[in-house]
Amino acid sequence: MGEHAIALNSVKLVRDHFTFGPLDLEIPKGYVTAIVGPNGSGKSTLFRMIMNTIKPQQGNIHVLGEQLGYDNDDELKQNIGHLPEEATTFDYFLKGYDKAAFHAKWFRGWNNDTYQRLLSNLATRDDLQLKKMSKGMRRKFDLSLAMAHHPKLLLLDEPSSGLDPIAWKTMIEVLHQYMENEDHTILMTTHIVDEVKRLADYIVFLIDGQVYGTYEKDELLQSWMTYFIETPAHSTIDIRSIPGYCEHKLVSNGFYEVISSKAFEAEQWLEQQQVNVRSKQLLELDEILLQHVKRARQFAK
Amino acid sequence: MRLPIGINEQSAEPLYYQIEVQLRALIISGTLQAGTLLPSIRELASQLKCSVITIKRVYSDLEAEGLLRTKQGTGTYVSHVEEQSREEHRLGVVIEAIDHLMEAAKRVQCSKQELEQLLEEKLKQY
Repeated sequence: MGEHAIALNSVKLVRDHFTFGPLDLEIPKGYVTAIVGPNGSGKSTLFRMIMNTIKPQQGNIHVLGEQLGYDNDDELKQNIGHLPEEATTFDYFLKGYDKAAFHAKWFRGWNNDTYQRLLSNLATRDDLQLKKMSKGMRRKFDLSLAMAHHPKLLLLDEPSSGLDPIAWKTMIEVLHQYMENEDHTILMTTHIVDEVKRLADYIVFLIDGQVYGTYEKDELLQSWMTYFIETPAHSTIDIRSIPGYCEHKLVSNGFYEVISSKAFEAEQWLEQQQVNVRSKQLLELDEILLQHVKRARQFAK
Repeated sequence: MRLPIGINEQSAEPLYYQIEVQLRALIISGTLQAGTLLPSIRELASQLKCSVITIKRVYSDLEAEGLLRTKQGTGTYVSHVEEQSREEHRLGVVIEAIDHLMEAAKRVQCSKQELEQLLEEKLKQY
């Protein structure tokens, strides 16, 4: 994977009803990594730890080559663009351009042309009070703010929430343009399958505070398959021995529906066993997530 | 530029392979002429809805075959394909398809005579 933009080393955080980690996680530099997981799995906690607003009780975190927690925050954040899940409310009374002026003062890399171009590309404006902005308008404004200082690392927590389909498409384009620079990295969370498909290079499953695998997206999406098969009469084949076996259902006598996480090997196996494959279907990302969740929770028991 | 490349999601062939075969054919057939600037890795990845890892692999494989060359900082271009190697590549594509055909025939235990007969029928339409 080459260099890492972010590295978590044995990081653990215990809260009353939730334990994050202990876990190791590396986010490759120059790529888009999507964190995918059910609600309450620790996605936002992870983002807060990377932004150094909460500190883990154990382990250490490196961001852009620097270890967090050595009063290097201010310097480090010059190179980070952060779009939090919820828009801030304490500054509701400000007009958009006032908030932008504050950012311009704070970030050395702030570029007003970039900022104006983002506002216009995303079809939003900054001449309104933040509280007067619609949800989508505010989201696009916040994204423009997060990117206007040319950060090397973008942290996007459910970036598309509140966006209409047209704005969503524009956002994807803006993020693709940002990634044309090979020094740039995006770490994002999302619940939207199509967003992962369009943007991500790597997928990380974060479930109940634990990482269940980092995958190359194309490989992952091509390897989970449901097969509808017919076994030969009087056959003694055990369908559970298919490579990558996850679960199966008996549809009717001799007909099965079986899910495998290793499609290439599974196909060879089916051929060797002379099993008749009636049809097959790739699993969607949400179905793959569900399989991971099932496995994770079974394992936890 | 939009490349006429299609992806078959249900195919057992890996994505990088599907893209590689089609891009190679576009170059060898001369549809993409020598010197053509290809889309950037990120651009092609977004067009085909796949990851940059896949496109990087395709570009570097085809570069190793001498069909593409990358100029640092400017992009990836189609190389000049020699007439002779164009000819070799051209038939190579067909030979590969014939290999696939024979594998398929073996799987259903098709005899040599049957295969000959089928081919003869098909060739009449060629």
